[in-house]
Amino acid sequence: MTTRARAYRATHAPEEALSAALPEFHAARDQHGGPDRETVEALARTVHLPVATTRGAFSSFDDVKAKPDSIRVCAGTSCMLAGGAEVSRELGSHHACHRVYCLGYCDRSPVALTASGSVVPRLSRSAFSVFEGGAPPPPPAPSSVRCAARHAVVTARIGVSQPTTEAVPEYKGLQAALARSPDEVVGMVIASRTRGRGGAAYPTGRKWQLAARASGEPKFVVANGDEGDPGSFIDRELMERDPHAILEGMAICAHAIGASRGIVFIRSEYPVAATLMSEAIAAARKAGILGPSALGHARPFEVEVVRGLGSYVCGEETALLSAIEGQRGEVWPRPPYPVEQGLFGKPTVVDNVETLVNVAWILRHGADLYAEMGTSESTGTKAICFNHGFAKPGIVEVEFGVTMRDAIENLAGGPRPGTQIEAVLLGGPMGSIVTPDQWDAPICFTAMAKRGLNLGHAGMVAIPRGADWGTILRHLLTFMRDESCGKCVPCRLGTLRAHEIAQGSLSSLNLPHFQQIMDLMKVASLCAFGRETPGPVRTILEKFGDRILAEVQS
Amino acid sequence: MSATARTVATINGNAVDIHRGDTIFSAAARAGIDIPTLCHADGLEPEGGCRMCLVEIDGQRPQASCHTPISPGMVIHTATPRLHELRRALLELTISSLPAGTCEPDEHGTAFQRLLAAYEVTSSPFGHHATARALDESHPYMRFDRDRCITCRLCLNACEQVQGQFVYGIEGRGGHARLVFGSTERFADSACVSCGACVDVCPTGAINDRDRLTGGRADHAADSVCGYCGVGCQTHIESKDNVVLRIRGVPEASANHGHLCVKGRYAHAYHHAPDRLTTPLLRDASGVLRPATWDAAMQYAASRLLEIRDRHGPDALGVMTSSRSTNEAAYLLQKLFRTIIGTNNVDCCARVCHSSTAIALGTVTGTGAATASYADLEEASLIVVAGSNPTEAHPVVGARIKQAALRSAALVVIDPRRIELADYAGVHLQLWPGTNVALFNALAKVMVEEGLFDTDYVERRCTNFAELREFLAAQGLDDLAGITRVPADRIRAAARLIAQRGPGIFVSGLGLSEQSQGVASVMAYCNLGLLTGSLGKRGSGMLPLRGQNNVQGNADMGAQPYSLTGYLPLGEATVRRRLESLWGAPPPLEPGKTVPEMYEAARAGSLRALWIQGEDVVQSDPDTTHVIEALDTLDLLIVQELFLTDTARRAHVVFPAAAGLEQEGTFTNGERRIQHVRPSVAAPGEARPDWQAIRDVGIRMGPPGPAWSYRNPSDIMDEIARAVPDLFGGISYDRLTPDGIQWPCPTSDNPGTRTVHVGSFVRGKALLTCVDYIPPLDKTDASHPQVLMTGRVLDHYNVGTMTRRTPSRSIVAHDYLEIHPEDASRLGFVEGTPVGITSRWGHTTAPAHLTRRVLPGTCFLSFHFPDTQTNCVVGPHTDPKSKCPDYKVVAVQLARG
Repeated sequence: MTTRARAYRATHAPEEALSAALPEFHAARDQHGGPDRETVEALARTVHLPVATTRGAFSSFDDVKAKPDSIRVCAGTSCMLAGGAEVSRELGSHHACHRVYCLGYCDRSPVALTASGSVVPRLSRSAFSVFEGGAPPPPPAPSSVRCAARHAVVTARIGVSQPTTEAVPEYKGLQAALARSPDEVVGMVIASRTRGRGGAAYPTGRKWQLAARASGEPKFVVANGDEGDPGSFIDRELMERDPHAILEGMAICAHAIGASRGIVFIRSEYPVAATLMSEAIAAARKAGILGPSALGHARPFEVEVVRGLGSYVCGEETALLSAIEGQRGEVWPRPPYPVEQGLFGKPTVVDNVETLVNVAWILRHGADLYAEMGTSESTGTKAICFNHGFAKPGIVEVEFGVTMRDAIENLAGGPRPGTQIEAVLLGGPMGSIVTPDQWDAPICFTAMAKRGLNLGHAGMVAIPRGADWGTILRHLLTFMRDESCGKCVPCRLGTLRAHEIAQGSLSSLNLPHFQQIMDLMKVASLCAFGRETPGPVRTILEKFGDRILAEVQS
Repeated sequence: MSATARTVATINGNAVDIHRGDTIFSAAARAGIDIPTLCHADGLEPEGGCRMCLVEIDGQRPQASCHTPISPGMVIHTATPRLHELRRALLELTISSLPAGTCEPDEHGTAFQRLLAAYEVTSSPFGHHATARALDESHPYMRFDRDRCITCRLCLNACEQVQGQFVYGIEGRGGHARLVFGSTERFADSACVSCGACVDVCPTGAINDRDRLTGGRADHAADSVCGYCGVGCQTHIESKDNVVLRIRGVPEASANHGHLCVKGRYAHAYHHAPDRLTTPLLRDASGVLRPATWDAAMQYAASRLLEIRDRHGPDALGVMTSSRSTNEAAYLLQKLFRTIIGTNNVDCCARVCHSSTAIALGTVTGTGAATASYADLEEASLIVVAGSNPTEAHPVVGARIKQAALRSAALVVIDPRRIELADYAGVHLQLWPGTNVALFNALAKVMVEEGLFDTDYVERRCTNFAELREFLAAQGLDDLAGITRVPADRIRAAARLIAQRGPGIFVSGLGLSEQSQGVASVMAYCNLGLLTGSLGKRGSGMLPLRGQNNVQGNADMGAQPYSLTGYLPLGEATVRRRLESLWGAPPPLEPGKTVPEMYEAARAGSLRALWIQGEDVVQSDPDTTHVIEALDTLDLLIVQELFLTDTARRAHVVFPAAAGLEQEGTFTNGERRIQHVRPSVAAPGEARPDWQAIRDVGIRMGPPGPAWSYRNPSDIMDEIARAVPDLFGGISYDRLTPDGIQWPCPTSDNPGTRTVHVGSFVRGKALLTCVDYIPPLDKTDASHPQVLMTGRVLDHYNVGTMTRRTPSRSIVAHDYLEIHPEDASRLGFVEGTPVGITSRWGHTTAPAHLTRRVLPGTCFLSFHFPDTQTNCVVGPHTDPKSKCPDYKVVAVQLARG
């Protein structure tokens, strides 16, 4: 993100200065394909950004490198453990394929996505016929959703009904919000002590308060639907099955901070979610809930969907905002914070999808009832995603405070029959490798942090006994190398060099260099991606290093 | 920050003051604590990429100091064993992206090499990038070496935040991210304007000046002032064996803050061109110019000047001082003609550029110069640019305007061409050439009639408002809009924007001045400045951009026929007494002839001798045929020049001149800043500084009064200070370091004047003027249907005498005719078609360049190359008051050439 390129657009096309540029990137990609000179020059003219800026941004997204008609095969951790690499290699010999990190069906790995957006879960050779054309496969069944909390917050509606975008539910939380002053709404959210569910766990009410106080027009609410962590799929389920709860949370936020525009940023790996979310927006607008008078007389709130273009780092809020503006999906150094100068330099709240659903519930049922659940540091509930390696894969909503062991052994039913779990990858590649001796840790941001664990978005991927830790290590390093944005030296070059080292034979000779890179990334990187992804890698070396080194030496 | 309560943090055990907006890095830098960095530079926004500036803060994890705000009470450590190890590892990783051995540690090398040396990094334990990649040497001045590029993005940030050019991008992701330029793989194909800002910040030499690489170590360095254009950038010039090796900007200079343009930074090779004049030349009996001694040449010149004076009277002689030479030379030359010869036939090329501006500003305010300074551009909330194309003709100021627009100043561009700045403007009024007065009256009409003006300012500080109101009421907005061909709605919108965002800076150029309504254009433009209350305040005012490097100074020194040094009136008794005591004789009372009038007089036989200092008038002045006729009738033509130009070829005596790089003196830039020019290299052969040649001819002629005993230019400046104490009384060479002084500066303790007319105008109250639109004199008709404008392009300077003798010639190799594709298609031209351009005054040809920058029905031609002789097409029309020629509206016919 460069401020001058933003200003360039604002001076060259003032009427478009506050419009998302990324949709034009999609159009260019769909029309022309890769980042060749003509495409980039035409795109630059369309989005009113400098050619070099446009070239840089366009080429930073994975999707532009793949043919638009290719099949996306999941290379996420869960699918990798389910033998996805072998299946997709075979599929690739018949069809154009490209690898993506997580399609959000970890409960049914391995999985692929056709060019037309049909999901093919439990991908196996016998299912290849669906790629031959003909009728698209039926949409997959919803994930299993259960609630173990006293009150269902996140799963209140997705647990009981099929997705409905047409029938607009009552936005009771929004009505409650509009009956209060913006300050009172912020006060309620602060009182609930709810924290961001995207991984950083920042107090949501505090964020809103800062945005409410910031000056600048218009203000934006951005729902972060860039659920990139392999192992997590609650956001996809919410966007597909309860989009109105997300819109309601956004409208409440808009009222609280004085925003008039909203964007739901959805990763390109979730095409169904993008479609359903757009339908829900149209329905809510038709019902008069969103639109010119959404927040009362002449107080508009308009929401649009912006699709991502293939980049994990865009899940980070500043990278996400840069991408929407048509710039590289890279983190920018803070300050400025998005609440003060966010999208197009305007005050912006970026909240995770699940967070917004929590807020809608808080407004409906009160901060007190909410805060009664969970722990004092982490109030409310959390949706845990269990991958196919558990006996009962799917989503379980729990109150903060339950132990991992309780969640794994009781709620998820333990390991898939016939397997044993050697460790759990918690919270995706920026999370933690958690072995059974640590499972007594309560699910709580603070308590886990004290134990050196990272809850992240609370996806759990079971790593069965017998899995090849060397493969897992290289899988994580490949992910890191592929998804590093390239902004800061430790991550840009550290992921590249560490990957090279790990592809060769990792031995006592080069292990110190490898460790040094991981340490450097952890301490020196600009953003959480570089600082946190070395965590699981280091744990693997610490706990299973002997197997990896032995494996390579033999 | 209150003075009593210091806000401090602790860095390495020292208490450090915190200023508003400080990062740890900036606070440390101010305290003299050096923190290593590879991606941060003064004045640029933090990038946060290299992480070398990590510091330890008690109670926190290490933070990058370049983007971490410092807060009171922080206890910070910038040099610990842990940080040393982290930085060392970062350097090892960084060089791993380069082929082994491309960057060796070197305490005297690039910033990167110095860090490698300091952290004792010789190679990467993590491996190296395997293969070497080819150098990109596609550009004549710059070279890109990918094998040295560490993707730090300093070039990108400097390009965007200093020049505003957006040449660079980062392609790809992660470890494969790499620097790219534009949309191709060739640097020369990019949008680069060769300002060199990226080179100055590159820590590895990946992007570098070619002259820097091949020149070797300098044996001499001097700070001086650029000789290209009136911005007056300060330069640091390194040379070796009397050849300039490299030039960079002086960071502390107010005029340019270290920034330069392609001409100032790179176009210096002309000074050692093989065809430099190295000896005086005298025309022999057979009419051939032959080398002569200085003594013979000067003796000839002195005796012939006296002979002609004695035979035909003093007014049979005239002089044109050079706007490229120094104040001292101009002062001395006008003094020679006014006192020894006794004529006011003294003029300079300002006549053919900003004479209209000077007269108009003088009429309106009492002073014929900019009221504001460049520094005001950074403070302005509104910038109006009319008839000026700064990003090409005044690139360093152009970049500042662009940056101001990018930082949210409102920009209004008024120009018949869609110049680069138009893309950055809130409103571009693309008026028909020659209709400035109608447009400014229309804008003023909207402002007055909608009550959108500063009533208090107008009442307190201006006169003639009632007349203006009445005058404007009588004009129809639709009529005016019709004349300008700009829709009335657009004019209204622009007027409202100007009124709403003003006061502002009103920049102008030759598009206003070089018109048959030149004076009227500038006066009508001043109305807008006055209605918005912009003159006499910081952050606003009138800012005409002067063309040549010392055209301001030439006018200041008295190179005009109707007023004296410092704009002193010819007839005022006290002035005459003061000058008489200083000069030994009073100046003549009668005003002299302007440049066009001198040509006319020569052709009529009444002007017999002309001294032209450093200007190729055959190429630069309009109506070339008549200029040549005039020169060829003279009994005596003396030319001081660097090269044997078309003008010098016609001379009887040619004095070989020292270039700006080779002599001492002062230049005065467009914001009235008198700056010290210091020699960097010796003049070739027997070439001499202009002031010396003038002095020595003067001595030979026998000056009245005190002897011409000037030992150096500083002596001359001391006399100038005594001649015009109100403006220059406080100026002396010892005060010009480091940043020059802006006149007026009456006393030696006066700091100079950034903003003129604060509180009151020099003439008392400013004059609002009522000027009617008069159509341009060169009318289009069926046989001459197209309107031609002439002007400059970025890479060349004026008639190209200097820049054509540099590698700039490979960037732009010829003049070209900008023409709208619709016209081209109608006339059957494609890109490059040779086009015959015929006016009522002459004919030339130039290749067509199809562009939507110009309106259909208009076209644009530059005048940098003698092959084109653009000015033979330009006619004899001038402004009635200033006599400034109309270079901007010429009726022509275009046909396949």
